[in-house]
Amino acid sequence: MQVYLPIAEMSADALLLIGIGFGVGWLSGLFGVGGGFLLTPLLILIGIPSPVAVASGANQTLGASVSGLIAQWRRGNVDARMGGVLLVGGLLGSFAGVQLFALLRRIGQVDTAVSLFYVVVLGTVGVLMVMESARAILRRRRSVRRRLHAHYWMHGLPLKARFRKSRLYISVIPPVLVGFGIGVLSAVMGVGGGFMLVPAMIYFIGMPTAVVIGTSLFQVVFVAANVTLLQAVQVGSVDILLTLLLLGGGVAGAQFGAALGTRLRGEETRALLGLMVLGVAVSLLWGLVRRPDNLFSLGPAL
Amino acid sequence: MTRLLLLLFLSLAPVAGAAAQEASLVADLSDRGIEVSTGFTGADLLVFGATDAPIGPGGDEILVVVRGPTRPVVVRRKVRALGVIWVNGPAARFSGVPGFYAIAGTRPAWQILPEQERQNNGLGLDALPLVSTGARNPHFRAALLDLEKESGLWLEDAATVEIGANRLFHVRVPLPAAVPTGDYRVEVLLVRSRRIHTRQEMEFRVDRVGVADRIATVAEAQPLVYGVGCVLLAAFAGWFGSVLFRRG
Repeated sequence: MQVYLPIAEMSADALLLIGIGFGVGWLSGLFGVGGGFLLTPLLILIGIPSPVAVASGANQTLGASVSGLIAQWRRGNVDARMGGVLLVGGLLGSFAGVQLFALLRRIGQVDTAVSLFYVVVLGTVGVLMVMESARAILRRRRSVRRRLHAHYWMHGLPLKARFRKSRLYISVIPPVLVGFGIGVLSAVMGVGGGFMLVPAMIYFIGMPTAVVIGTSLFQVVFVAANVTLLQAVQVGSVDILLTLLLLGGGVAGAQFGAALGTRLRGEETRALLGLMVLGVAVSLLWGLVRRPDNLFSLGPAL
Repeated sequence: MTRLLLLLFLSLAPVAGAAAQEASLVADLSDRGIEVSTGFTGADLLVFGATDAPIGPGGDEILVVVRGPTRPVVVRRKVRALGVIWVNGPAARFSGVPGFYAIAGTRPAWQILPEQERQNNGLGLDALPLVSTGARNPHFRAALLDLEKESGLWLEDAATVEIGANRLFHVRVPLPAAVPTGDYRVEVLLVRSRRIHTRQEMEFRVDRVGVADRIATVAEAQPLVYGVGCVLLAAFAGWFGSVLFRRG
Protein backbone atom coordinates (compact mmCIF):
# COMPACT_ATOMS: atom_id res chain seq x y z
CA MET A 1 0.00 0.00 0.00
CA GLN A 2 1.75 3.14 -1.22
CA VAL A 3 1.40 6.38 0.68
CA TYR A 4 2.67 9.81 -0.34
CA LEU A 5 4.87 11.44 2.30
CA PRO A 6 4.23 15.19 1.97
CA ILE A 7 7.52 16.49 3.39
CA ALA A 8 9.80 13.81 1.97
CA GLU A 9 7.90 14.42 -1.31
CA MET A 10 8.00 10.77 -2.24
CA SER A 11 5.74 7.80 -2.00
CA ALA A 12 6.67 4.83 0.17
CA ASP A 13 5.10 1.54 1.17
CA ALA A 14 3.02 2.19 4.29
CA LEU A 15 3.14 -1.46 5.36
CA LEU A 16 6.93 -1.47 5.08
CA LEU A 17 7.14 1.63 7.30
CA ILE A 18 4.76 0.14 9.88
CA GLY A 19 6.79 -3.08 9.73
CA ILE A 20 10.05 -1.21 10.33
CA GLY A 21 8.37 0.61 13.21
CA PHE A 22 7.20 -2.70 14.67
CA GLY A 23 10.62 -4.36 14.37
CA VAL A 24 12.49 -1.43 15.89
CA GLY A 25 9.80 -1.05 18.56
CA TRP A 26 10.09 -4.75 19.43
CA LEU A 27 13.86 -4.47 19.87
CA SER A 28 13.56 -1.25 21.82
CA GLY A 29 11.00 -2.81 24.15
CA LEU A 30 13.29 -5.79 24.59
CA PHE A 31 16.34 -3.69 25.43
CA GLY A 32 14.65 -0.69 27.01
CA VAL A 33 16.12 1.87 24.62
CA GLY A 34 14.39 4.18 22.15
CA GLY A 35 15.69 2.42 19.04
CA GLY A 36 16.37 5.61 17.10
CA PHE A 37 19.88 4.37 16.33
CA LEU A 38 18.37 1.53 14.30
CA LEU A 39 15.48 3.49 12.86
CA THR A 40 17.29 6.40 11.21
CA PRO A 41 19.81 4.23 9.28
CA LEU A 42 16.97 1.93 8.17
CA LEU A 43 14.97 4.88 6.85
CA ILE A 44 17.99 6.18 4.93
CA LEU A 45 18.49 2.65 3.57
CA ILE A 46 14.99 2.50 2.08
CA GLY A 47 15.54 5.84 0.34
CA ILE A 48 14.16 8.48 2.71
CA PRO A 49 16.36 11.62 2.38
CA SER A 50 18.76 11.93 5.34
CA PRO A 51 17.36 15.23 6.71
CA VAL A 52 13.83 13.80 6.76
CA ALA A 53 15.01 10.51 8.27
CA VAL A 54 16.90 12.30 11.07
CA ALA A 55 14.14 14.79 11.92
CA SER A 56 11.29 12.27 11.74
CA GLY A 57 13.42 9.76 13.68
CA ALA A 58 13.73 12.24 16.54
CA ASN A 59 9.99 12.88 16.36
CA GLN A 60 9.29 9.12 16.50
CA THR A 61 11.68 8.67 19.44
CA LEU A 62 9.70 11.30 21.35
CA GLY A 63 6.46 9.42 20.83
CA ALA A 64 8.01 6.03 21.61
CA SER A 65 9.49 7.28 24.90
CA VAL A 66 6.44 9.08 26.28
CA SER A 67 4.59 6.03 27.56
CA GLY A 68 7.77 4.69 29.17
CA LEU A 69 8.30 8.00 30.91
CA ILE A 70 4.73 8.03 32.26
CA ALA A 71 5.12 4.50 33.61
CA GLN A 72 8.48 5.26 35.27
CA TRP A 73 7.19 8.53 36.70
CA ARG A 74 4.26 6.73 38.35
CA ARG A 75 6.68 4.29 39.97
CA GLY A 76 8.76 7.20 41.28
CA ASN A 77 11.81 6.20 39.25
CA VAL A 78 12.50 9.65 37.82
CA ASP A 79 15.02 11.95 39.48
CA ALA A 80 13.43 15.15 38.23
CA ARG A 81 16.21 17.31 39.62
CA MET A 82 18.94 15.35 37.88
CA GLY A 83 16.71 15.17 34.80
CA GLY A 84 16.37 18.95 34.85
CA VAL A 85 20.13 19.48 35.05
CA LEU A 86 20.71 17.00 32.22
CA LEU A 87 17.98 18.72 30.25
CA VAL A 88 19.63 22.14 30.51
CA GLY A 89 22.69 20.63 28.83
CA GLY A 90 20.48 18.64 26.46
CA LEU A 91 18.54 21.66 25.20
CA LEU A 92 21.73 23.66 24.62
CA GLY A 93 23.30 20.65 22.94
CA SER A 94 20.36 20.00 20.65
CA PHE A 95 20.28 23.67 19.66
CA ALA A 96 23.99 23.52 18.76
CA GLY A 97 23.42 20.21 17.00
CA VAL A 98 20.66 21.55 14.76
CA GLN A 99 22.90 24.50 13.80
CA LEU A 100 25.64 22.02 12.92
CA PHE A 101 23.14 19.97 10.95
CA ALA A 102 21.91 23.00 8.97
CA LEU A 103 25.53 23.92 8.22
CA LEU A 104 26.36 20.39 7.05
CA ARG A 105 23.30 20.47 4.82
CA ARG A 106 24.39 23.73 3.22
CA ILE A 107 27.83 22.38 2.36
CA GLY A 108 26.36 19.09 1.16
CA GLN A 109 27.97 16.77 3.68
CA VAL A 110 24.90 15.62 5.62
CA ASP A 111 24.95 12.01 4.41
CA THR A 112 28.61 11.46 5.12
CA ALA A 113 28.49 13.27 8.45
CA VAL A 114 25.45 11.36 9.69
CA SER A 115 27.04 8.02 8.73
CA LEU A 116 30.35 9.03 10.28
CA PHE A 117 28.68 10.08 13.53
CA TYR A 118 26.90 6.74 13.63
CA VAL A 119 30.06 4.73 12.98
CA VAL A 120 32.09 6.52 15.65
CA VAL A 121 29.39 6.67 18.34
CA LEU A 122 27.86 3.24 17.78
CA GLY A 123 31.27 1.62 17.31
CA THR A 124 32.55 3.00 20.61
CA VAL A 125 29.38 2.30 22.57
CA GLY A 126 29.02 -1.18 21.05
CA VAL A 127 32.58 -2.22 21.93
CA LEU A 128 32.23 -0.87 25.47
CA MET A 129 28.91 -2.63 26.00
CA VAL A 130 30.11 -5.98 24.72
CA MET A 131 33.28 -5.78 26.82
CA GLU A 132 31.43 -4.70 29.93
CA SER A 133 28.74 -7.36 29.70
CA ALA A 134 31.25 -10.09 28.85
CA ARG A 135 33.21 -9.17 31.95
CA ALA A 136 30.01 -9.17 34.00
CA ILE A 137 28.99 -12.60 32.71
CA LEU A 138 32.42 -14.03 33.50
CA ARG A 139 32.47 -12.45 36.93
CA ARG A 140 28.92 -13.42 37.84
CA ARG A 141 29.81 -16.01 40.47
CA ARG A 142 32.30 -13.89 42.37
CA SER A 143 30.09 -11.33 44.02
CA VAL A 144 32.08 -8.21 44.78
CA ARG A 145 30.82 -5.78 47.35
CA ARG A 146 30.51 -2.50 45.54
CA ARG A 147 30.72 0.94 46.97
CA LEU A 148 27.71 3.21 46.66
CA HIS A 149 29.39 4.84 43.69
CA ALA A 150 32.87 5.84 42.62
CA HIS A 151 33.89 9.47 42.99
CA TYR A 152 35.77 11.04 40.11
CA TRP A 153 37.63 14.32 40.27
CA MET A 154 34.91 15.87 38.13
CA HIS A 155 32.31 15.27 40.80
CA GLY A 156 34.22 17.61 43.08
CA LEU A 157 34.05 20.62 40.75
CA PRO A 158 32.22 23.73 41.97
CA LEU A 159 28.42 24.21 41.72
CA LYS A 160 27.70 21.21 43.86
CA ALA A 161 24.10 20.16 44.29
CA ARG A 162 22.25 17.47 46.18
CA PHE A 163 20.30 14.95 44.12
CA ARG A 164 18.17 13.18 46.70
CA LYS A 165 16.63 10.46 44.51
CA SER A 166 20.02 9.54 43.07
CA ARG A 167 21.66 9.76 46.51
CA LEU A 168 24.40 12.00 45.11
CA TYR A 169 26.04 15.22 46.18
CA ILE A 170 28.11 16.23 43.16
CA SER A 171 28.90 19.16 40.91
CA VAL A 172 26.28 19.87 38.23
CA ILE A 173 29.03 20.25 35.58
CA PRO A 174 29.34 16.53 34.65
CA PRO A 175 25.59 16.01 34.12
CA VAL A 176 25.31 19.24 32.10
CA LEU A 177 28.21 18.13 29.89
CA VAL A 178 26.70 14.66 29.45
CA GLY A 179 23.36 16.23 28.57
CA PHE A 180 25.00 18.60 26.09
CA GLY A 181 26.85 15.81 24.31
CA ILE A 182 23.73 13.67 24.03
CA GLY A 183 21.79 16.71 22.79
CA VAL A 184 24.24 17.29 19.93
CA LEU A 185 24.16 13.62 18.91
CA SER A 186 20.39 13.59 19.17
CA ALA A 187 20.08 16.45 16.69
CA VAL A 188 22.61 15.13 14.18
CA MET A 189 21.71 11.43 14.38
CA GLY A 190 17.97 11.61 15.01
CA VAL A 191 18.22 9.42 18.08
CA GLY A 192 17.02 9.86 21.63
CA GLY A 193 20.41 8.86 22.92
CA GLY A 194 19.18 6.47 25.62
CA PHE A 195 21.77 3.85 24.64
CA MET A 196 24.55 6.33 25.41
CA LEU A 197 22.85 8.18 28.23
CA VAL A 198 22.17 5.09 30.35
CA PRO A 199 25.81 3.93 30.53
CA ALA A 200 26.98 7.54 31.01
CA MET A 201 24.63 7.96 33.96
CA ILE A 202 25.73 4.71 35.58
CA TYR A 203 29.48 4.86 35.04
CA PHE A 204 30.18 8.57 34.64
CA ILE A 205 27.72 10.27 36.99
CA GLY A 206 27.38 7.30 39.30
CA MET A 207 23.59 7.15 39.58
CA PRO A 208 21.85 4.09 41.05
CA THR A 209 20.38 1.83 38.34
CA ALA A 210 16.84 2.08 39.71
CA VAL A 211 16.41 5.71 38.63
CA VAL A 212 18.58 5.59 35.51
CA ILE A 213 15.98 4.39 32.99
CA GLY A 214 13.27 6.78 34.16
CA THR A 215 15.59 9.78 34.30
CA SER A 216 17.08 9.06 30.88
CA LEU A 217 13.58 8.81 29.42
CA PHE A 218 12.83 12.20 30.98
CA GLN A 219 15.81 13.72 29.19
CA VAL A 220 15.11 11.84 25.92
CA VAL A 221 11.48 12.97 25.68
CA PHE A 222 12.27 16.65 26.14
CA VAL A 223 15.41 16.71 24.01
CA ALA A 224 13.63 14.84 21.19
CA ALA A 225 10.78 17.36 21.44
CA ASN A 226 13.27 20.21 21.16
CA VAL A 227 15.03 18.59 18.18
CA THR A 228 11.68 18.05 16.45
CA LEU A 229 10.74 21.67 16.96
CA LEU A 230 14.09 23.07 15.81
CA GLN A 231 14.30 20.76 12.79
CA ALA A 232 10.76 21.73 11.80
CA VAL A 233 11.54 25.45 12.05
CA GLN A 234 15.10 25.55 10.69
CA VAL A 235 15.37 22.68 8.24
CA GLY A 236 11.69 21.94 7.60
CA SER A 237 12.23 18.22 7.39
CA VAL A 238 9.85 16.65 9.93
CA ASP A 239 7.39 14.39 8.13
CA ILE A 240 4.51 13.85 10.53
CA LEU A 241 2.91 11.18 8.35
CA LEU A 242 6.14 9.17 8.36
CA THR A 243 6.41 9.63 12.14
CA LEU A 244 2.87 8.43 12.77
CA LEU A 245 3.26 5.34 10.56
CA LEU A 246 6.47 4.39 12.37
CA LEU A 247 4.86 5.03 15.76
CA GLY A 248 1.84 2.92 14.83
CA GLY A 249 4.06 -0.12 14.39
CA GLY A 250 6.49 0.93 17.09
CA VAL A 251 4.22 1.13 20.11
CA ALA A 252 2.71 -2.27 19.30
CA GLY A 253 6.14 -3.84 18.84
CA ALA A 254 7.47 -2.33 22.05
CA GLN A 255 4.85 -4.09 24.18
CA PHE A 256 5.76 -7.51 22.76
CA GLY A 257 9.47 -6.80 23.10
CA ALA A 258 9.11 -5.69 26.71
CA ALA A 259 7.21 -8.89 27.56
CA LEU A 260 10.14 -10.97 26.27
CA GLY A 261 12.70 -8.65 27.84
CA THR A 262 11.59 -9.45 31.38
CA ARG A 263 12.57 -13.09 30.81
CA LEU A 264 16.18 -12.32 29.78
CA ARG A 265 19.04 -11.68 32.20
CA GLY A 266 20.57 -8.23 32.30
CA GLU A 267 24.07 -9.18 31.15
CA GLU A 268 22.87 -11.25 28.19
CA THR A 269 20.50 -8.48 27.12
CA ARG A 270 23.30 -5.93 27.26
CA ALA A 271 25.66 -8.19 25.31
CA LEU A 272 23.02 -8.73 22.62
CA LEU A 273 22.28 -5.01 22.42
CA GLY A 274 26.01 -4.31 22.20
CA LEU A 275 26.40 -6.76 19.31
CA MET A 276 23.46 -5.21 17.50
CA VAL A 277 24.87 -1.70 17.95
CA LEU A 278 28.22 -2.94 16.60
CA GLY A 279 26.49 -4.57 13.64
CA VAL A 280 24.84 -1.29 12.63
CA ALA A 281 28.16 0.54 13.01
CA VAL A 282 30.01 -1.96 10.82
CA SER A 283 27.40 -1.90 8.06
CA LEU A 284 27.45 1.91 7.98
CA LEU A 285 31.26 1.90 7.95
CA TRP A 286 31.14 -0.43 4.95
CA GLY A 287 28.86 2.07 3.21
CA LEU A 288 31.45 4.79 3.76
CA VAL A 289 34.59 2.96 2.68
CA ARG A 290 33.29 1.00 -0.30
CA ARG A 291 33.45 2.69 -3.68
CA PRO A 292 29.95 4.08 -4.39
CA ASP A 293 28.12 2.71 -7.45
CA ASN A 294 27.57 6.24 -8.67
CA LEU A 295 30.13 8.85 -7.70
CA PHE A 296 27.71 11.66 -8.50
CA SER A 297 24.71 12.67 -6.46
CA LEU A 298 21.99 15.22 -6.93
CA GLY A 299 20.65 17.59 -4.31
CA PRO A 300 18.57 20.73 -4.05
CA ALA A 301 20.61 23.94 -4.11
CA LEU A 302 20.18 25.87 -0.87
CA MET B 1 -9.19 2.14 -23.13
CA THR B 2 -7.37 2.69 -26.41
CA ARG B 3 -10.47 1.83 -28.36
CA LEU B 4 -12.43 4.27 -26.27
CA LEU B 5 -9.92 6.97 -27.03
CA LEU B 6 -10.06 6.25 -30.71
CA LEU B 7 -13.82 6.63 -30.57
CA LEU B 8 -13.32 9.94 -28.81
CA PHE B 9 -10.91 11.03 -31.51
CA LEU B 10 -13.24 10.00 -34.27
CA SER B 11 -16.04 11.99 -32.75
CA LEU B 12 -13.67 14.91 -32.44
CA ALA B 13 -12.40 14.56 -35.97
CA PRO B 14 -15.13 16.61 -37.73
CA VAL B 15 -14.59 19.43 -35.22
CA ALA B 16 -10.87 19.23 -35.78
CA GLY B 17 -11.45 19.26 -39.51
CA ALA B 18 -13.51 22.44 -39.25
CA ALA B 19 -10.93 24.11 -37.02
CA ALA B 20 -8.16 23.05 -39.36
CA GLN B 21 -9.21 25.66 -41.87
CA GLU B 22 -7.43 28.14 -39.65
CA ALA B 23 -5.00 25.86 -37.78
CA SER B 24 -3.18 22.88 -39.14
CA LEU B 25 -2.82 21.49 -35.62
CA VAL B 26 -5.24 21.10 -32.70
CA ALA B 27 -4.32 19.41 -29.48
CA ASP B 28 -5.57 19.04 -25.92
CA LEU B 29 -4.75 17.39 -22.60
CA SER B 30 -6.69 14.78 -20.67
CA ASP B 31 -6.15 16.77 -17.46
CA ARG B 32 -5.53 20.39 -16.62
CA GLY B 33 -4.91 19.58 -12.98
CA ILE B 34 -3.09 16.58 -11.53
CA GLU B 35 -3.93 16.06 -7.86
CA VAL B 36 -1.32 14.69 -5.50
CA SER B 37 -3.13 13.17 -2.52
CA THR B 38 -1.71 10.92 0.21
CA GLY B 39 -2.51 7.93 -1.99
CA PHE B 40 -0.72 9.36 -5.05
CA THR B 41 1.46 6.84 -6.87
CA GLY B 42 1.92 8.68 -10.14
CA ALA B 43 -0.41 9.50 -13.00
CA ASP B 44 -0.61 9.47 -16.77
CA LEU B 45 -1.18 12.59 -18.81
CA LEU B 46 -2.75 12.03 -22.19
CA VAL B 47 -1.81 14.51 -24.91
CA PHE B 48 -3.93 14.13 -28.03
CA GLY B 49 -4.95 16.03 -31.11
CA ALA B 50 -5.38 16.08 -34.87
CA THR B 51 -3.73 17.65 -37.91
CA ASP B 52 -4.93 18.75 -41.33
CA ALA B 53 -2.53 16.53 -43.26
CA PRO B 54 -1.54 12.86 -42.93
CA ILE B 55 0.94 12.09 -40.16
CA GLY B 56 3.46 9.30 -40.32
CA PRO B 57 6.17 8.02 -42.63
CA GLY B 58 6.53 10.37 -45.57
CA GLY B 59 4.14 12.91 -44.09
CA ASP B 60 4.09 15.22 -41.07
CA GLU B 61 5.66 14.36 -37.73
CA ILE B 62 4.48 15.27 -34.22
CA LEU B 63 6.65 16.13 -31.22
CA VAL B 64 5.28 16.51 -27.70
CA VAL B 65 7.35 18.20 -24.98
CA VAL B 66 6.33 18.51 -21.32
CA ARG B 67 8.35 20.81 -19.08
CA GLY B 68 7.90 21.05 -15.32
CA PRO B 69 8.73 23.91 -12.96
CA THR B 70 12.43 24.72 -12.75
CA ARG B 71 14.63 24.77 -9.66
CA PRO B 72 18.34 25.08 -8.96
CA VAL B 73 20.17 21.83 -8.18
CA VAL B 74 23.66 20.88 -7.09
CA VAL B 75 25.52 17.91 -8.53
CA ARG B 76 28.26 16.63 -6.25
CA ARG B 77 31.02 14.21 -6.96
CA LYS B 78 32.32 11.91 -4.26
CA VAL B 79 36.05 11.83 -3.67
CA ARG B 80 38.19 9.74 -1.39
CA ALA B 81 39.10 11.58 1.80
CA LEU B 82 42.20 10.52 3.73
CA GLY B 83 42.36 7.50 1.44
CA VAL B 84 39.62 5.80 3.43
CA ILE B 85 36.08 7.13 3.18
CA TRP B 86 34.09 8.65 0.35
CA VAL B 87 32.87 12.20 0.92
CA ASN B 88 31.23 14.76 -1.34
CA GLY B 89 33.91 16.78 -3.09
CA PRO B 90 33.63 19.20 -6.02
CA ALA B 91 30.15 20.41 -6.89
CA ALA B 92 28.48 22.15 -9.80
CA ARG B 93 25.37 24.27 -9.38
CA PHE B 94 22.83 24.25 -12.17
CA SER B 95 20.11 26.89 -12.22
CA GLY B 96 16.79 26.61 -14.00
CA VAL B 97 16.77 22.83 -14.16
CA PRO B 98 13.30 21.51 -15.03
CA GLY B 99 11.96 19.25 -12.30
CA PHE B 100 10.23 17.27 -15.00
CA TYR B 101 10.97 16.96 -18.70
CA ALA B 102 9.50 14.57 -21.20
CA ILE B 103 9.81 14.49 -24.94
CA ALA B 104 8.06 12.07 -27.24
CA GLY B 105 7.53 12.03 -30.98
CA THR B 106 6.23 9.96 -33.81
CA ARG B 107 9.97 9.46 -34.29
CA PRO B 108 12.89 10.68 -32.13
CA ALA B 109 13.47 14.42 -32.49
CA TRP B 110 17.01 14.02 -33.86
CA GLN B 111 15.64 12.00 -36.78
CA ILE B 112 13.05 14.49 -37.88
CA LEU B 113 14.66 17.88 -37.26
CA PRO B 114 18.00 19.40 -38.31
CA GLU B 115 20.47 19.49 -35.41
CA GLN B 116 20.55 23.30 -35.23
CA GLU B 117 16.79 23.62 -35.04
CA ARG B 118 16.57 20.91 -32.40
CA GLN B 119 19.23 22.54 -30.21
CA ASN B 120 17.65 26.01 -30.53
CA ASN B 121 14.28 24.73 -29.35
CA GLY B 122 15.59 22.57 -26.51
CA LEU B 123 14.16 19.38 -27.95
CA GLY B 124 15.88 16.45 -26.31
CA LEU B 125 17.82 15.98 -23.09
CA ASP B 126 21.14 16.91 -24.70
CA ALA B 127 19.59 20.14 -25.99
CA LEU B 128 18.45 21.42 -22.59
CA PRO B 129 19.99 24.80 -21.80
CA LEU B 130 21.74 23.86 -18.54
CA VAL B 131 24.12 26.51 -17.26
CA SER B 132 26.37 25.60 -14.38
CA THR B 133 28.55 27.43 -11.93
CA GLY B 134 31.24 25.75 -9.86
CA ALA B 135 33.17 22.75 -11.09
CA ARG B 136 33.63 23.07 -14.85
CA ASN B 137 33.68 19.55 -16.12
CA PRO B 138 31.35 18.04 -18.72
CA HIS B 139 31.01 14.98 -16.47
CA PHE B 140 28.75 16.94 -14.12
CA ARG B 141 26.28 17.71 -16.88
CA ALA B 142 26.28 14.09 -18.00
CA ALA B 143 25.79 12.96 -14.39
CA LEU B 144 22.83 15.31 -13.98
CA LEU B 145 21.22 13.80 -17.07
CA ASP B 146 21.85 10.27 -15.81
CA LEU B 147 20.51 10.95 -12.33
CA GLU B 148 17.37 12.67 -13.58
CA LYS B 149 16.73 9.90 -16.09
CA GLU B 150 17.21 7.31 -13.35
CA SER B 151 14.65 9.03 -11.13
CA GLY B 152 12.09 8.80 -13.93
CA LEU B 153 11.63 12.57 -13.98
CA TRP B 154 13.36 13.11 -17.31
CA LEU B 155 12.04 11.04 -20.16
CA GLU B 156 13.31 10.98 -23.71
CA ASP B 157 11.30 8.88 -26.15
CA ALA B 158 10.00 6.71 -23.32
CA ALA B 159 6.74 6.56 -25.24
CA THR B 160 6.10 7.18 -28.91
CA VAL B 161 3.34 9.34 -30.26
CA GLU B 162 0.76 6.92 -31.67
CA ILE B 163 -1.03 7.71 -34.89
CA GLY B 164 -4.66 6.84 -35.43
CA ALA B 165 -6.64 7.17 -38.65
CA ASN B 166 -3.80 9.08 -40.34
CA ARG B 167 -4.51 12.47 -38.75
CA LEU B 168 -5.08 11.71 -35.08
CA PHE B 169 -2.30 11.36 -32.61
CA HIS B 170 -2.00 10.66 -28.92
CA VAL B 171 0.71 9.96 -26.38
CA ARG B 172 0.56 9.00 -22.75
CA VAL B 173 3.17 10.82 -20.62
CA PRO B 174 3.85 9.05 -17.32
CA LEU B 175 4.17 11.34 -14.28
CA PRO B 176 5.95 9.43 -11.49
CA ALA B 177 5.05 9.68 -7.78
CA ALA B 178 7.96 12.04 -7.14
CA VAL B 179 6.70 14.55 -9.72
CA PRO B 180 7.26 18.11 -8.42
CA THR B 181 4.26 20.36 -7.84
CA GLY B 182 3.76 23.53 -9.85
CA ASP B 183 2.96 24.79 -13.34
CA TYR B 184 3.73 22.61 -16.33
CA ARG B 185 3.99 23.59 -19.95
CA VAL B 186 3.09 21.23 -22.78
CA GLU B 187 4.24 21.99 -26.31
CA VAL B 188 2.95 20.13 -29.33
CA LEU B 189 4.98 20.67 -32.49
CA LEU B 190 3.95 19.83 -36.02
CA VAL B 191 7.03 19.10 -38.10
CA ARG B 192 6.59 19.43 -41.86
CA SER B 193 9.49 18.91 -44.30
CA ARG B 194 12.06 18.94 -41.47
CA ARG B 195 10.91 22.28 -40.12
CA ILE B 196 8.67 23.27 -37.22
CA HIS B 197 5.49 24.23 -39.04
CA THR B 198 3.06 24.89 -36.20
CA ARG B 199 3.27 24.78 -32.45
CA GLN B 200 0.60 24.77 -29.79
CA GLU B 201 1.24 25.45 -26.13
CA MET B 202 -0.89 24.30 -23.22
CA GLU B 203 -0.57 24.36 -19.48
CA PHE B 204 -1.51 22.18 -16.57
CA ARG B 205 -0.82 22.18 -12.86
CA VAL B 206 0.32 19.54 -10.41
CA ASP B 207 -1.11 20.31 -7.00
CA ARG B 208 -1.06 18.62 -3.66
CA VAL B 209 -4.58 18.15 -2.32
CA GLY B 210 -6.22 16.97 0.89
CA VAL B 211 -4.17 15.91 3.89
CA ALA B 212 -0.86 15.91 2.01
CA ASP B 213 -1.45 19.49 0.92
CA ARG B 214 -2.52 20.68 4.34
CA ILE B 215 0.53 19.13 6.01
CA ALA B 216 2.95 20.61 3.49
CA THR B 217 1.29 24.04 3.55
CA VAL B 218 1.34 24.34 7.34
CA ALA B 219 4.92 23.04 7.50
CA GLU B 220 5.99 25.70 5.02
CA ALA B 221 3.94 28.68 6.14
CA GLN B 222 3.92 28.17 9.92
CA PRO B 223 6.88 25.94 10.81
CA LEU B 224 6.60 26.72 14.52
CA VAL B 225 2.94 25.71 14.70
CA TYR B 226 3.76 22.63 12.65
CA GLY B 227 6.67 21.71 14.94
CA VAL B 228 4.55 22.04 18.07
CA GLY B 229 1.84 20.00 16.37
CA CYS B 230 4.35 17.24 15.52
CA VAL B 231 5.56 17.13 19.13
CA LEU B 232 2.05 16.93 20.57
CA LEU B 233 0.79 14.47 17.98
CA ALA B 234 3.75 12.12 18.43
CA ALA B 235 3.44 12.29 22.22
CA PHE B 236 -0.27 11.58 22.05
CA ALA B 237 0.17 8.74 19.54
CA GLY B 238 2.87 7.17 21.70
CA TRP B 239 0.76 7.34 24.84
CA PHE B 240 -2.43 6.23 23.12
CA GLY B 241 -0.68 3.34 21.39
CA SER B 242 0.80 2.04 24.61
CA VAL B 243 -2.65 2.09 26.23
CA LEU B 244 -4.14 0.34 23.21
CA PHE B 245 -1.52 -2.40 22.91
CA ARG B 246 -0.88 -2.92 26.61
CA ARG B 247 -0.55 -6.62 27.30
CA GLY B 248 -1.88 -8.13 30.44
